This record gives sequence, structure tokens and C-alpha cells, in this order.
Amino acid sequence: MTETKIRQDSGDETHFGFTSVRLGDKQALVDDVFHKVAKRYDVMNDLMSFGLHRAWKDALVSSLRPWKNKPFSLLDVAGGTGDVAFRVMEAAGPRGRATVCDINGDMLRVGRDRTPKALTDQIEFVQGNAEVLPFEDNSFDAYTIAFGIRNVPRIDLALAEAHRVLKRGGRFLCLEFSAVDVPGLDKIYDLFSFKVIPPMGKMVTGDVEPYQYLVESIRKFPLPARFSGMIRDAGFGEVRARPMSGGIVQLHSGWKV
Amino acid sequence: MHSSNESAASTERHIDPKLLELLVCPLTKSVLRYDAERQELVSSAARLAYPIRDGIPIMLPDEARMIDDSER
Repeated sequence: MTETKIRQDSGDETHFGFTSVRLGDKQALVDDVFHKVAKRYDVMNDLMSFGLHRAWKDALVSSLRPWKNKPFSLLDVAGGTGDVAFRVMEAAGPRGRATVCDINGDMLRVGRDRTPKALTDQIEFVQGNAEVLPFEDNSFDAYTIAFGIRNVPRIDLALAEAHRVLKRGGRFLCLEFSAVDVPGLDKIYDLFSFKVIPPMGKMVTGDVEPYQYLVESIRKFPLPARFSGMIRDAGFGEVRARPMSGGIVQLHSGWKV
Repeated sequence: MHSSNESAASTERHIDPKLLELLVCPLTKSVLRYDAERQELVSSAARLAYPIRDGIPIMLPDEARMIDDSER
């Protein structure tokens, strides 16, 4: 596998998986990926992660610990299918409110149509771009993004916007895949990623490219220490990264202080 | 999934007032005017009208309609 190394912030080019693309074209390519897989997105998540994505999202919710005794407002970015917002609202109870923001309309419609009846009054869906959020400053108690920030062309802009829309004392939580750090597991993980996931994606969704993109984009994402630095640069304090499942996934956390 | 009910449901969908309070123009971060008849959120500052489809505000400048002075 030959990789061309081009840094995300080096001007006009960015990654689309292992391919370098013009920064302006990445969003259209990512949109196309999610348009193709929207309906079977959660089925594929279960298959690809052996159901582990549920545990990772549960870990995010228990780390967030939404309060119940006063209104709790969540912004879940890139959360189209509603998965994370549903979980947080169940934990927050009736005084919780969630706004799900995704750049992809297909994913949002899947989420809205699947919203449990008990939660419909607590969850709103907005189509928007993580780099230029359509929300007031200091609006939310928490900002979550699960397996989404990897797909944002300019991650630094998205982090700055996360900081802007959070209230002082607000929490930033991000789940993202990472390179694996357990000897032996890394080999298995590579084999699974490149030999199993793309064909499986083709079987379930009819397309191979979206899943080829997915495994490649994981390899291109900054390592945990570097990503923590980016979160700090956006103005967050108490920045931590917690590895899960042998480091396949990291839970990144920060506070607007 | 519920394709037969979908159009009926979408006409009933109203945008939540609390959500309107939260939303700003993504480009200028300025307040928006809600045009209930056209189902649009109008940014005078950016001269753009963001559509609301099936109750979902589409806050993407690329999807917005350019407005002229008479609409501001």
C-alpha cells in the first residue's frame, strides 16, 4: 500500500482515504459515501465492530453523565442517525434537549424517522456543516461527535466551532478510531480492515468504495497525542484521550474553561 | 419505510420555537427571520434564505436561495 503523505493543514490538499484530493472536493466525496450507506449504516456498524460500537457509545454517555435536575442541552454533530442523541437523552431524562446536526440530509432523515416516540419532543434535527455551525455562541452544555470528525475536511475549524457554541463549563467529547497499539492485534486489525470490511460493505450496502474510504480514512487520522494537541489549540482545557478496545477507539475529552 | 404517511406528516411538522432561538446564519452568525409561509429562515446579513424541508432546517449556504433587497 503506497501512501502519499500530505498534511491536513498544508494548504490546498487533504486526504480522501489514501487519495489526495483538493480540499474543496473532499466534502462532496464524503457526502456521496454517506448518501450510499445511510439506510444500512447501523447494520454495518454492528457487523464491522462486532457490536462494540454500542459499548463505545455507552462509554461516551457514562463519561458525559448528563444531569437530570436542570435542563441539559446537547449538540451532537455528525450524528445523523440519532444513535448518540437517543442514548444521551435516555440518560438525561425529560429535561434533556438534543440537537442533531449533520451535513448529510439522508442520514438525518434516517435519524428522524427512527426517533423513539418518547423522545420526539426532546430532539431536533438540523442540516449543517461542522466547520460553520448555525448556532449561537455559548448555547450547549455538551458537544459530542462520534466517528465523525475524521470526515471533516478542516478539523481545526470544527474544533473552534465546537468551542464557540459550548457554554463555559461545557464538555467536548469525541469518539474516533485510532491506530492500534497492541502487538499482534495491530496485524489482525489491518487484515480485518483491508481484507474483510470493504467486501462486507459491498455485501450489505452494495458498494465497496464507502468502506474502502472508511478503513483508509482511519489510517490517515492524527494519532491521539497529536489530536489532543489540536483540541487544546482550539481553546479546550483538561484535554484527555482514553483508549478503548486495545486502542482501536479513543474517547477524547475536553472542557470549555 | 412509512412512505405513504410521509407527505402528510411533513406538512404537519412545525419548527420548534426553541430551535429557532438557537439557530443563526452559519456565515454571519446573525439572527434569522422565520418565514412560515415559504418555510425559510432568512439571513438579511448574508442575503440568503435557508430552506426548511420536512421540518429540518437546511443551514448550508450552498442550498440557500439568494434574496434581493425587497425581501430583506
